[in-house]
Amino acid sequence: MAETSSHKRQVVGSLLAAVLLVVVTVALVTAKIGPGLDSTELRDKEERQEERLEESEERREERED
Amino acid sequence: MEDLVDSLTRGNVSQVKTVLASVVAVLSAYQVFLMAVGYGKVQLPFLRSKAASLAHRATGDMIVVVTLLVAFICLVYFEIGDGIEYARDGEQTRATIHVVAGSLLVAAIVLKVVVVRWWQRVSRYLPALGLTVFALFWVTWFTSAGNYLMGD
Repeated sequence: MAETSSHKRQVVGSLLAAVLLVVVTVALVTAKIGPGLDSTELRDKEERQEERLEESEERREERED
Repeated sequence: MEDLVDSLTRGNVSQVKTVLASVVAVLSAYQVFLMAVGYGKVQLPFLRSKAASLAHRATGDMIVVVTLLVAFICLVYFEIGDGIEYARDGEQTRATIHVVAGSLLVAAIVLKVVVVRWWQRVSRYLPALGLTVFALFWVTWFTSAGNYLMGD
C-alpha cells in the first residue's frame, strides 16, 4: 500500500517536473521572441503596404503621363 | 488549411512553431533522463525505474501530439519545396537539413511507437531508437527554431 502511494507520488512528481519544464521553456522563448502581431495589427500592416504600393504605382503612372 | 493555421496562431505562425518546437526539444532531453533512470543507468533515491518509465510514456504521448501538430503547421504553411526554395540566400543548406531531419524525426517517432506498442520483438533497439529521436529533435530545432531565436 505504502509502495503504491510512493509510486504514484513519483509518477506525479515526474509529470509535474515535465510541466515545469514546459512553463519555463514557454516563458523563456516567448520573452526572447517578444510581443507578436495579432491578426488586427497584421491586417493593418498589410493594408498600409497595399496603400503604399498603390501610391507608388500612381506616382509612376503620373510621371509616365 | 493555410488560413486555419494563420487564424489559430493569430498570424504568428513562425513564433508559435518556435515555442512548440522548443518545448518538445527540451522535453526530449527530459525523456532521455527519465529513461536513463528507467534502465537503471542513473539511480536516484526519490525516483524508481518503474515510475520513471511510466512518466516517460505519458510525456512521450504528449510530445508525439505536439510534434505532429508542428509538422502539420510546417507542411501546410511552409510546404517542403517552398521552405527550401524561398529560404534566404545562403540558408538553403540549413532549410534542407531541417526538412530532412524533420521528416526523419516523424518517421523515427512512428517507428518507435510501433516498436513500443506492437513490435516488441525488436524492443532491444529502443534505446538506440530513442537516442536517434533525441538527436533528430535537436538537429531539427537547431536548423529552424534555434536559428530563428539566435538570429535576432
